[in-house]
Amino acid sequence: MKKYLGPLSKDNPVLVQTLGVCSALAVTAQMKPAVVMALSVTVVCACSNLIISLMRNTIPPRVRIIVQLLVVSFFVILVDQVLQALLYDVSKMLSVFVGLIITNCIIMGRLEAFALSHKPLPSLVDGVMNGLGYGLVLVVVAFFRELLGSGTLWNHPVVPASWYAAGYMNNGLMILPPMALILVGVLIWAKGETRSS
Amino acid sequence: MKNFSNTYIFLYISALVIFVAVVLSVVSIGLKPLREANVKAEKCQQILHAAGYHDVERKQSVELFSKVAEKMQKADNEEVYRIRCADGADGYAVRLDGKGLWGPIWGYAVLSGDGTTLKGVAFDHKSETPGLGAKITEEAFLKAFEGKKLYDKDGKFVSVRVLKAGTASEIANENRVDAISGATLTSKGVDAMFSNDLLNIKD
Repeated sequence: MKKYLGPLSKDNPVLVQTLGVCSALAVTAQMKPAVVMALSVTVVCACSNLIISLMRNTIPPRVRIIVQLLVVSFFVILVDQVLQALLYDVSKMLSVFVGLIITNCIIMGRLEAFALSHKPLPSLVDGVMNGLGYGLVLVVVAFFRELLGSGTLWNHPVVPASWYAAGYMNNGLMILPPMALILVGVLIWAKGETRSS
Repeated sequence: MKNFSNTYIFLYISALVIFVAVVLSVVSIGLKPLREANVKAEKCQQILHAAGYHDVERKQSVELFSKVAEKMQKADNEEVYRIRCADGADGYAVRLDGKGLWGPIWGYAVLSGDGTTLKGVAFDHKSETPGLGAKITEEAFLKAFEGKKLYDKDGKFVSVRVLKAGTASEIANENRVDAISGATLTSKGVDAMFSNDLLNIKD
């Protein structure tokens, strides 16, 4: 059981393996897209892990990367279509980044490292846990960026109007990607410090 | 490690690709009505917003739009609607298309009945930078267009120009709007959109 909890902290895909950083920078300006992105990646990662694991004895090793890519793109396009039909605003917000889930190294990494050599059920759990570990970082970064950058959380204003009247200003830099890089960097550093001590 | 023959590999991949293609096509066709309804509702909401109907829920926008607006037959396929604005006056909504920094930008300009004054505008974009170019969709920028004139004092058509704030030019205040700082190219795209797409509307 313990090894499945690894991705949440000890073996976090973003903070320890530094995978999937690109999308962690892109969709974390607000909480809502971050949560949707986290869920999408979790669904794609879990489903493709499960399918690849079910197929693992039939996949010819020479073309395994192609097969993995095919399965991942299948789920990504599915998620994209569903978002466009049912959650239009969110799909507009995520725009190209849904398509870029295909290139999220976490997913291909888990397929290569885990699903190809493990039974379906453990693979499914591994996919969910890695998706959640990734999502956790996204939500933490998005929390600070939205709070300090826009003064809102989940689009609800949380900074009282009296603060603005007293001269408080939102930090515009928080909205831009460079600040996301700095925040993720700080988290990676903090994680590394607690691990080594 | 098992050994797989070339024939096996070929058939395996072919079957997989065909399966994926069929399933995705079915899903795409199945969800198409929902996707198109979303796009249409958003368009209606944007035009209504430009015409002064604020706070219209997206769900109700299609119904309200069909009540107050009708599409006009234009020979050159331009998208123009005759619309009754929120203040009761008649106006025209004209589709605008242009280039942003990263991709297409588009919008609607609602003109007064005599075609000389902007009552409101709405913009949208495919992939402008959040916090910079994407600001063209924000209320503060849209508000600046309200009440601007398309003709100068001598009755010459100048459209509405989007110019860097504070630049001296012969363009009068009622014909210009301040560009967004940090989003020069997106602002230029909006400027070009107004110059090109409103030119043919002078009727």
